[in-house]
Amino acid sequence: MREFVDPANNISAQEIRDSYRQRLDHAAAQGAAEAVENGEAAAEATQNEDEEGVQAESSAMAAERSRKRKRNTEEAVAKIKKGKEAKKKATKKKKRGSDEEDDSDYEAVMDMYKKAKPLPGQLENCELCSKRFTVTPYSKAGPDGGLLCTPCGKEMAKEAKANEKAAKPAVRRGRRKIESNRLDGLSGRGAKSLVQLCIEKLAKHAEDIDEFGELPESIMNRLSEIFSKKRAMNPTSVKLFLRPEMDTVAVHEAAYLETEDYDQIFAVVPNLQKLVLRNACQFKDVNMDYMIEKAINLQHIQLQGANLVSNDKWIDLFIARGEDLKSLKLEWLDAAFNDQVVEALVEFCPNLERLKLERCRLLGIETIEALTRSKNLQHLTLQLSKDVPMERLVNLIGHIGANLRTLCLQEFLDRENDPTDDILQAIHDTCRHLSKFRFTENNECSDAGYVALFSDWANPPLKHIDLQSNRDVDNANPDGPEDFPIGLASEGFKALMAHSGSKLEYLNIKSCRHISHKTFAEVFDGTKQYPNLQELDMSFCPVVDTQIVAAVFRSCPKIKKVVTFGCFEVADVVVPRGMTLIGAPKAQDAIEQYGEMVMDFQKELMKEMEKAGRVAPVMA
Amino acid sequence: MTAPPLTEYVTLVSNDAFEFKVLRSAAVLAGTIKKALDPSSNFKEGATNRVTFHNINGVILEKVCEYLYYNQKHEESKDVPDFDLPPELCLELIVAADYLGV
Repeated sequence: MREFVDPANNISAQEIRDSYRQRLDHAAAQGAAEAVENGEAAAEATQNEDEEGVQAESSAMAAERSRKRKRNTEEAVAKIKKGKEAKKKATKKKKRGSDEEDDSDYEAVMDMYKKAKPLPGQLENCELCSKRFTVTPYSKAGPDGGLLCTPCGKEMAKEAKANEKAAKPAVRRGRRKIESNRLDGLSGRGAKSLVQLCIEKLAKHAEDIDEFGELPESIMNRLSEIFSKKRAMNPTSVKLFLRPEMDTVAVHEAAYLETEDYDQIFAVVPNLQKLVLRNACQFKDVNMDYMIEKAINLQHIQLQGANLVSNDKWIDLFIARGEDLKSLKLEWLDAAFNDQVVEALVEFCPNLERLKLERCRLLGIETIEALTRSKNLQHLTLQLSKDVPMERLVNLIGHIGANLRTLCLQEFLDRENDPTDDILQAIHDTCRHLSKFRFTENNECSDAGYVALFSDWANPPLKHIDLQSNRDVDNANPDGPEDFPIGLASEGFKALMAHSGSKLEYLNIKSCRHISHKTFAEVFDGTKQYPNLQELDMSFCPVVDTQIVAAVFRSCPKIKKVVTFGCFEVADVVVPRGMTLIGAPKAQDAIEQYGEMVMDFQKELMKEMEKAGRVAPVMA
Repeated sequence: MTAPPLTEYVTLVSNDAFEFKVLRSAAVLAGTIKKALDPSSNFKEGATNRVTFHNINGVILEKVCEYLYYNQKHEESKDVPDFDLPPELCLELIVAADYLGV
């Protein structure tokens, strides 16, 4: 399953702000202009102009209009001219050619001298078939402006509809599919692998399959993922994935499964070691009981949205299976799973190495307290909804930080106390084995804090860093305090790359908008190399431009994916072969661009590859 | 002993004795076939230019060959038209594809 990239977010705050200001200015200008001119005339003129554009409106309206016009045509002409002038002054934005404007004036005048259209109830000859018919308010206008009889009118409407339909899909359907594939990470070049093709076909015919037979585990896994993605996991199809000899069951989309189906899993697969159920809405206490009873080898549990399991049942699970549990990942729990359960978890699961608690609504400070006693944790991911004082978090890192390989702290804010960089300092002082670090959506830690974290850090270079949305949030001052930058800004970013650049594989600095253009240019100067970097997300860093993206391609030989949503300076980048640029906002025809060019620096690499023999296109 | 020159075509044999003569350039797109035919790996297949599959039947192997040519043809092109697969063959084909590395 790939993460979703939402092109709808393709807006820069800068642009929104600018346009807002522009509109304010406009409103002010307009108000002044209207005070001078006759406001009524301006309004009337707009109305007239609108009318002139709409040809196919109902005859009743047309008739009424013409009656009015007969009454005082000249007055109207004078008003239009007056109104036009007023409007021209008020709205400088619509800079149309003066010729065009004169034309439309002329047309408006001519329109008034046209023969009046008959009123409803009168008789008229149809423009197409010349038959005589009674005009109704619903009579349609013909191609030359006359009226049509009911049958001809219907015919017209039908044709118009058909044309509309025919015009759309031919272009769109193909493109949508292609774009979707690209965002899914399927390469645009060459044929898909046969395995991939078969999997897709199988997923399409999910309901016709009786059994899978002896498929290799890896393919089963892939199939399960695709079935989940297509929402084809239902009580029937899930049975295809259950085999007695398996040790892993992963259903990534279990929303259609019923309570009995979960029992079935534990009944069929006795040696279950790893269980993944996402959107497990119907996973209930009884299932938990059955799991405790049957799945005696269970070591890894991942449950998402299992909200029908009560607090007591969670505690039962930890009491019964806690000794064996190595990893536990729980997400989207809001009906149960409170701080007491976490205390039980820490108490009864001494061997837990991996813990992920995301969006569990009831958890708060006591959870952080309890986790300080979980000494064997190596991978910790937390996202709590409640505010936690920073000192508690610092305390937690102090207790268990030394062992951690993965540390993900998302959206931790301390709104009550003054912002400090203590948490970063604590990580700097205690963590020695981190390889993945995520610290996101924080507007309290300062640039200096990040510099301190990454300077002289005894931790070896990291492989995976996600520091997205660490920036100052103040609409009145979007650039943040100048002398004391907040969030990951220029210096922090430099320190980060100096520390981890050599091993870094994944970097996300989305929305870290205080990093300057100069810094980007310095870090990615085309000669410094980041040999392992494969994926880089620089979305919503407004200073990123074409030059920087080009330099990234040169500095990172292994890079596969660069994301630049909302970087409005990026345009016309020549993307080298095998690399993908997603989200260049000015590329109208493709959100994603594939490299076609073989760059100089790639040629050597190509030669090596050729020596090794031709490599078949590989699918993600 | 000098290695015989590489032939343009190689023979793929199914377990029910169907033989398919395909271009070597297409056949080696499958990792397993490539390794088997590589003279440096010193397999009998490399010497005879003939690979026998004991676990793949004729129907499936035909489809595989078809795919190999399809793959070769579209190697460099973008937005490749979809390869037509009869759904009833998919399960067997997927096992074969996984084994052959295509």
